[in-house]
Amino acid sequence: MAERSFAKEVQSLKLGDGAEFKGEGILAVTKALLQSGVSYVGGYQGAPISHLMDVLADAEEILTELDIHFEASASEAAAAAMLAASVNYPLRGAVTWKSTVGTNVASDALASVSSSGVMGGALVIVGEDYGEGSSIMQERTHAFAMKSQMWLLDPRPNLTSITEMVEKGFELSEASSTPVMLELRIRACHVHGSFKAKDNVRPGFKLRDAMENPVRDYDRVVLPPSNFVHEKEKVEQRWPAAIDFIRENKLNEFFGGHTASHGIIVQGGLYNTLMRALAILGLADHYGETDIPIYCLNVTYPLLNGEVAGFCVDKKAVLVVEEGQPEYLEQAICTILRREDISTKVHGKDMLPLAGEYTGQVVCDGVGKFLQTHAPELVETATVIGSSLPEDSQKTLFETVPNRPSGFCTGCPERPVFTAMKLVQRQLGNIHVSCDIGCHLFSILPPFNIGNTTMGYGLGWSGASAFNTETSQRTISIMGDGGFWHNGLTSGVGNAVFNKNDNILVIVDNGYSAATGGQDILSSRAENSSKSTKNPISKAIAGLGIRWQRTVITYDIGAMMRTLTEAMTTPEKGPKVIIAESECMLNRERREKPIRNQRITEGKRIVRARFGVDSDTCTGDHACIRLSGCPSLTIKDNPDPLREDPVAYVNNDCVGCGVCGEVSHAAVLCPSFYRADLVYNPTVWDRFTNRFRGLVIGFLQRRADKRRAKFSFGDL
Amino acid sequence: MATLSRDKPINIAIIAMGGQGGGVLSKWILNLADSQGYIAQYTSVPGVAQRTGATIYYIELFPAHLAEQAGKKPILALTPVPGDVDIVIASEMIEAGRALMRGFVDGNTSFIASNHRDYAIFEKQEMGDGRRPVDEINSLAQETAREFICFNMDAAARSVGSVISSVLFGALAGSGALPFKRADFEATIAASKKAVQANLKGFELGFETATEEQVTNNSPVEKPEPAQTYATTVAKLMVRMECEFPPHAHFYIREGLKKLVDFENTDYATLYLDRLAQIYKTDKQTGGSGKKWRLTTESARYLALAMAYDDVMRVADLKTRSDRFDRFRNEVKAEPDQIVHVSEFMHPRLEEIAEILPIRLGQFMLSSKAVRKISGLFFNKGRRISTTKLGGFVLLYAMGRMSWLRGYSLRLLRENQRIESWLVAIEDAAQRDYALAIEIAGLQRLIKGYGDTHARGLHRYSVIMNVYDKIKDGADAAEAIARLKAAALKDEEGVAFAEALYTIVGDGTQPSTNLHV
Repeated sequence: MAERSFAKEVQSLKLGDGAEFKGEGILAVTKALLQSGVSYVGGYQGAPISHLMDVLADAEEILTELDIHFEASASEAAAAAMLAASVNYPLRGAVTWKSTVGTNVASDALASVSSSGVMGGALVIVGEDYGEGSSIMQERTHAFAMKSQMWLLDPRPNLTSITEMVEKGFELSEASSTPVMLELRIRACHVHGSFKAKDNVRPGFKLRDAMENPVRDYDRVVLPPSNFVHEKEKVEQRWPAAIDFIRENKLNEFFGGHTASHGIIVQGGLYNTLMRALAILGLADHYGETDIPIYCLNVTYPLLNGEVAGFCVDKKAVLVVEEGQPEYLEQAICTILRREDISTKVHGKDMLPLAGEYTGQVVCDGVGKFLQTHAPELVETATVIGSSLPEDSQKTLFETVPNRPSGFCTGCPERPVFTAMKLVQRQLGNIHVSCDIGCHLFSILPPFNIGNTTMGYGLGWSGASAFNTETSQRTISIMGDGGFWHNGLTSGVGNAVFNKNDNILVIVDNGYSAATGGQDILSSRAENSSKSTKNPISKAIAGLGIRWQRTVITYDIGAMMRTLTEAMTTPEKGPKVIIAESECMLNRERREKPIRNQRITEGKRIVRARFGVDSDTCTGDHACIRLSGCPSLTIKDNPDPLREDPVAYVNNDCVGCGVCGEVSHAAVLCPSFYRADLVYNPTVWDRFTNRFRGLVIGFLQRRADKRRAKFSFGDL
Repeated sequence: MATLSRDKPINIAIIAMGGQGGGVLSKWILNLADSQGYIAQYTSVPGVAQRTGATIYYIELFPAHLAEQAGKKPILALTPVPGDVDIVIASEMIEAGRALMRGFVDGNTSFIASNHRDYAIFEKQEMGDGRRPVDEINSLAQETAREFICFNMDAAARSVGSVISSVLFGALAGSGALPFKRADFEATIAASKKAVQANLKGFELGFETATEEQVTNNSPVEKPEPAQTYATTVAKLMVRMECEFPPHAHFYIREGLKKLVDFENTDYATLYLDRLAQIYKTDKQTGGSGKKWRLTTESARYLALAMAYDDVMRVADLKTRSDRFDRFRNEVKAEPDQIVHVSEFMHPRLEEIAEILPIRLGQFMLSSKAVRKISGLFFNKGRRISTTKLGGFVLLYAMGRMSWLRGYSLRLLRENQRIESWLVAIEDAAQRDYALAIEIAGLQRLIKGYGDTHARGLHRYSVIMNVYDKIKDGADAAEAIARLKAAALKDEEGVAFAEALYTIVGDGTQPSTNLHV
């Protein structure tokens, strides 16, 4: 079960012609797919398009009604390969993933489908994870579009434009026999807005029709000599067809005035940011009225030579607002103008930053600079924006405000794995740790500071494969269950078995693809009506030939330390795998908490555990925090006026996972931790024993109180 | 020339930590605006960024009737631009600082923030006090924003069993920054159908507090000092304190006496006063009268902590007290009659047991291999002792009563030796430089905790004392000791400490990243 349920929201996917659709960008894209008559959809989750996968999963009923097949693909490569269905048949299909990491994984299949060309419209919806909030390396999807020759759509970030572009994308794909990528930036994926809906369209030609009447066309297979023919087709037929379609359907837009000697060329996705910048500079209003000519590229690849030249020819200078690097658009525009012998000056990365997100402030500064150079009369009175704080205040803030990186959630079962690793390192010395993608990558941050590299999803163990030599210190690699099924099974485990690796892999098995939003995977323990779950990782790796494997409950830090130490020191050669198993606490609490509360109201006996720290015995060293990092384990003022350092304190978010207690035992920390079991709806026996204990304990405590009272200093 | 319309959106940025309810608050604002005829656009960055990290929710509201009159759709932005944000809501005080740092707050901004603290890992993990001061953020917000509504919304929410988003929503309503009526805000909460009663209470609290007379500088009210009534058993100590020591030091001395009588007995507290009298004498000789008797005051504090060390009897005693039982019930939010079982995580080692035994016996146990081997069977793993059950309680209670053993114990012998040489060093330092003496006194701060933590602190303390012997005649010795102390508290692995040692002593010891310096 995914972290977020869209069960309620997906009902809006049924809206008919003319109704107003309100909701998140991702949901709107799904609606547009249904309006376009797709036959199949698939993809792999990952921010910012995780919700698209969740919406599709929750909409399965509606999809089935419309004869649409939904595939929760094993990886982006699997999803991209699914587009093969559109090569021979007039079937529309869409796949989605996080870019550029997902596009990297998918690029083998993408290159093939781009070479073959498609008959039915093939749309790849990529969530461009770039800029603030991104968790990956900063690259551009643009490069993939160029190298494989897929068209790249970058619509203006409002639901009407986005959904229109989905529909047009399919048409463009069919008109030019080329797969099309639709790029959505992080915040566009999650923008809440509205658009006018249309009726859903049931595909005319169905998957079943293709399976029952298969068509073979040798020309569409990527194998000599067809592949050489494809390359010619790409430039001689598909490209011109695409250019015609884009021009005729006016996919790119012209805004603003027509007479100025300067203009701005902008990626569609940045249009709103640009307009806000112009509004702040007093050069546009909030309806988009402006005298400055704007050429808005909703299609960023391919460029239309005629449109670009036409826009530039009467201008002295243009500014290209293009996010990310290298500056492909700027280069292409320069080439077009040079070939047409147009001398318009092209600005872009000389006035805007070479790298980094183009936020409102950045675009404001860049546009201001451009206009100061080419239309100074416009910006004389322009507002200076930005922080009005004096420099020394800025400096104080910079020193005061700490970073707040993401971290493991309260009660997370992955945390104790790294606690154990940190403690084992104290005994065995530092260990080279190769990380993977997933929540467990937070191990590289404080307080754990464990991990050397991360090479990609499921590539944790391969990332350490060079270190396979005679030594006294083995390496440890990390992989999540998500990464294991995505790629790690073959690239990691199979690779290690085949190459007789002598090192250690820790598979963190929390039952979900947790970092992407808690989607089910093969080894999930949950029931799933439409997918096959409960296929244990232990069996899979045994099948691959792993002979040394141990399964440890992550919360048992002592056992984890012993197992890690054994793996590090055993004379036995060969790959060693430790499966660290415990359910993702976020998912578990979401499921269990309502049930627990229900039982309590029903009058059933429930014991709820939570932890605490005695501020009397805590001396404020915070060793526990450095070994745990749990958000609910925090600090507060020391109640002892003589002591200066704050004491540890467990706040009320504690879910009672028990890691603090385990840590203080395993690391021999201090006697301050206690576990409190709160009994709800106690039985008669509970009450009886409690009263009896209370009598004895109370008697002794009163005696002690009296004795202390004899030495009272009074109360201040 | 195009004529530009003056219609504009209301821009709202919510700066929060993931999972703190920023999403809920955004949805409420969105639904409220929607119901009041506004075109509302909302964006956020879910996913990994929200796993407890800092994140921004951004909302723009545009009056639908204006757009209809204009016959056009407004273009709304997806990220806040500095200088263009009308309302900034920060769910925590450091996040309020972050909002200022990013320039979202200016003279036109209504700024709503909760002043409670949710400490970042960088603050929590330090071995001393890593908490960042927030006074500057508070005053900058006052100076910068059009209005600054700031109170502890977390406590307010908890007081009515609600979540912070409801109080923030109430404060937003109370600020009057949005053109909607209070009833409309409340209707939005009611329409959400989730925890409506609690959320309405939280809302009310937020609204009322925001509309109250702004109490901006909530400096602690001076409490009148009540008459002190102390028991006759401690009268001698108190009278001696009042007669022999300057008033500046009374607060710490009284706390020290209290702690030591509680720790051992009045004789032990008398020893404390004797030792402190010696320091006070030095203080008088070295011009302490012009320095508010800082040496005496600081020593009063640290000497009490040094003498009331944490041994097994002390811990057992503290764990079984009645006020401790009240405290844990309160901390875990137990209901008045609820049954609560408590178990303690104890991990006594041979060292802790041996050191409370009589000197000879303790020394024998620590040096005997056989004892170590046999005891390993008992002390090799942590134990959970339930103090709410009879067996566990009586065990700890009995141990807590054995403080009379202390007088003969190995631990006391060792502590006394260390304390005596430390006091000599303080007096010696005072003759050279008053500030240096205060630094030496403050080194006690390093010695805390149990087991390895205690051993590490003690080790760093001894290293600094050795350094002191080498550099005590230098002009900047006080500053060097202060730097070493700060570095010793910086990180557990000792990287900062090794670096500081290297720069100060420069004896060729390269900074080491070895795990246990």
